[in-house]
Amino acid sequence: MEQLLEMADRASDQTEVYSLEETTDSVSFEDGKLKDIESKVQSGLSLRLIKEGKLGFAYTKNLRNRREVLQNAIDALKGGVEAPFEFPRPKPLPQLNTYDPSIEKLSNAVIVDECTRVAEELTRKTKGQVNLAAGRRISTVRLINSHGTDLLSRSSIYSLHAEILFPGSYASIQRPFVQKTFVPVPDAHLAYLLDLYHRSSKEVEPSGGAMKVLFLPETLYALMWRIQSATNGRNVYQKVSPVLEKLGTKLLSERLTITNDPLTDTIPDARAFDDEGTPCEALTLVDHGTLTNFYCDLLYAKKLKARPTGNGFKTAMWGGETVSLRPSPSLEHLCIGTGNKSFPALLRSIDRGILVAGVMGAHSGNILNGDFSVGLSPGLYVETGEIVGHVKDAMVAGNVFDVLKEVIDIEDTQHLSPGGRFPGLLLDHVSVATKK
Amino acid sequence: MFDHLRAILSRVDADYADLRYEIKRETSVTFNGKELTQIGSNATDGFVLRVLKRGGFTSIAFTKERDAEKALRTAEGNALLISKQLKLPVTLARTEIVREHVFPELDEDPRNVSSEEKLELTRTYNLIPLNHEGIVNTVTDYQEVVREKFFLSSEGTEIREDLVTTRLSGLITSRAGSLIQNVRLGLGGSHGFAALRNQEGEFENRTAIALDLLKAKPVEAGLTNVVLNPSLAGVFTHEAFGHFSEADLIEDSPTMREKMTIGAKLGNEALSITDDPTQPELVGYYRYDDEGVRARPVRLMKDGVLSGRLHSRRTAAAFHEPLSGHCVAEDHRYAPIIRMGSIFIEPGPYTFQDLLSMLGDGLCLLHHMGGQTSGENFTFGAQYGHRVKGGKLGEMIRDINMSGNLYRTLQNITAIGSDLTFTKVGGCGKGQINIRSCHGGPHILIRGVVIGGQ
Repeated sequence: MEQLLEMADRASDQTEVYSLEETTDSVSFEDGKLKDIESKVQSGLSLRLIKEGKLGFAYTKNLRNRREVLQNAIDALKGGVEAPFEFPRPKPLPQLNTYDPSIEKLSNAVIVDECTRVAEELTRKTKGQVNLAAGRRISTVRLINSHGTDLLSRSSIYSLHAEILFPGSYASIQRPFVQKTFVPVPDAHLAYLLDLYHRSSKEVEPSGGAMKVLFLPETLYALMWRIQSATNGRNVYQKVSPVLEKLGTKLLSERLTITNDPLTDTIPDARAFDDEGTPCEALTLVDHGTLTNFYCDLLYAKKLKARPTGNGFKTAMWGGETVSLRPSPSLEHLCIGTGNKSFPALLRSIDRGILVAGVMGAHSGNILNGDFSVGLSPGLYVETGEIVGHVKDAMVAGNVFDVLKEVIDIEDTQHLSPGGRFPGLLLDHVSVATKK
Repeated sequence: MFDHLRAILSRVDADYADLRYEIKRETSVTFNGKELTQIGSNATDGFVLRVLKRGGFTSIAFTKERDAEKALRTAEGNALLISKQLKLPVTLARTEIVREHVFPELDEDPRNVSSEEKLELTRTYNLIPLNHEGIVNTVTDYQEVVREKFFLSSEGTEIREDLVTTRLSGLITSRAGSLIQNVRLGLGGSHGFAALRNQEGEFENRTAIALDLLKAKPVEAGLTNVVLNPSLAGVFTHEAFGHFSEADLIEDSPTMREKMTIGAKLGNEALSITDDPTQPELVGYYRYDDEGVRARPVRLMKDGVLSGRLHSRRTAAAFHEPLSGHCVAEDHRYAPIIRMGSIFIEPGPYTFQDLLSMLGDGLCLLHHMGGQTSGENFTFGAQYGHRVKGGKLGEMIRDINMSGNLYRTLQNITAIGSDLTFTKVGGCGKGQINIRSCHGGPHILIRGVVIGGQ
């Protein structure tokens, strides 16, 4: 890495080398039985150079030939991609506790045993099909640049994702359990899944219309993608955000506070710096309904004459090879602030409505405009505070800037979910389309 | 290269093993609005090893050759761990031992087109929408992916196959006040660069639609009859039906498996569906899959009756059904899984106008915007549509997502057009991205679809 930095520095004004090493093991159980164990040992590296305000970018998985990678970056310079920014200089950063060394000793046999225990426990108590996905990941990011920045982040994650499926479908009751190292899944976690599944086991066909809708944490990414898109510095710069000139304006319900919180390291995957070496910071996007910030990487901060917020990450909507991606504005640690009602109390407060327990098609539709229209996979139908059954073949739709104005209540606990740490969110007057 | 790989594979202690080494060369040019945001060519590589030992079947993907020994031992350990738990040991369906090198026939090899020319072509197309008032942004993206694959198995198969994919995709965004609309377009294929030339008309057409959408009305929620254009008919076939023709998706779901029994009458008699990866002019083309099995066409449904399934060697043996050659990986980071190649609804007797007349009143929906399935239920989006009254196309509508039950919808496809058309760009995200999975269909008439609306 250092040698490549040195070589590249001779050919440019500024240089940055990013490397990622990752080991993963994944265990899957289907219908209560061990299905597969898959392992990966992956590494790669990317190089960015800036010369006369232009960017050269290259990447490789195996650094066999430094000259070739450097030449690819130099060739890319000729295209004339603008880079009006400077790579960060060294700064003191908080020491985050992101790595638990005990994960190194965790064998696949232990993960298989834990999955067997969980599968047996769930299978004994339900007729629904039980699927599990468990595994661990150890990853090391290192970033060096020609200004002397030299950063390292090592993280460990263990997770077990359990779901109970409704017959004839992949619609399920699910909840992930995520830790920095191996911890057995608590009984309360399994009890939640079983309870929700049993209470909704009957298939029902309610009539549609505007009603109360409680999004469970596992489904809130569908709404949050729209918020992320609207507050992304790139979309603001390109004028494709519907909230361009709305900073300081009350857009959403007073109850709603949305933040990005990369520094809380009691939770896995905290980060002190982003994939460009900018220090990460807690950032409030929506404060009690008022739009307060957009988020930026180095490029779009410069273009918007704003401050980089430490949100330059090498990620894309569909995953992809990390080293091949350029950093772009990204919210990797999104949170919704909690309210003060427990989940059972939220449920009891619904006279008639739908619990969204799974969504299909969150990626389709006009995300830029904030529109969503998702299939329920499944929805749980509620009458007078009780779950009556599950609904399939139905959709909820709306525009996030409308539906998030009518927040009735928010759950008092955050759950680590796809897309962030979210509590359940109860909304009013959301359009539900059913067969009736 | 094969000598080298053979040396690694020979060190595996197993009943069966295969090793795939792959170099992936990617070239990309991206414009965001008027600004060029990415250009360059790069290569990545890696190994994927699969091991079958005492009935336990597992895989490991590793980047560096120096990790090979550790990877071999990890895979053997994982296989034994699986074998201890399995009630039924995994077996692999027999396949022909092959030694072959396959290079695609290209009408213009993109590797021989200069990066300057790729940049200029992308720039030219990108400027077409931007020259119209009301268009606020574009993302225009040239992607060229060359997979150079070396596959060998302990049974003696050695296959070198290259897959060359070119793609030019566009996202055109229009805006009026706070209303933002967008449309997508995709060009390209598996047979070279020529398909990307002379496509100015396509960019003009799509720009006009993006501008028209600013005046379109949001669709109303409810149950309605629809005519889908070939792009949407294709995405329905892929998402709602095709995935459940993939044996790995249903093998561990007793309830799904029961419904998807070969010989079951699942669809309307008008409906026949095939997956055929052997058509070289389609983006879904390949000769051998990533376990060295020759691809073959599979009739999945004939006259509404389930007649075939897509398989890997493992599932073909488990289901006692014929091999189909549909086990495909994204790249050197993944073991292969069962994927569709080119899935399509076979053409029927009707013209588009016939279908509109049969529809009477309802909606005509065009061009897909992503979809997803969860077993018997599916949902997918349309870029836009038109109301239809008395068989005539009326005003434009937007914000359309539809949802339905697979089995009911298969019954409700009551008439099929004659105009079979395929997508030029592939894409499916089943844990891995497959850019070589495409779909097609003619216009079709479906009765009783749930439309989500505000």
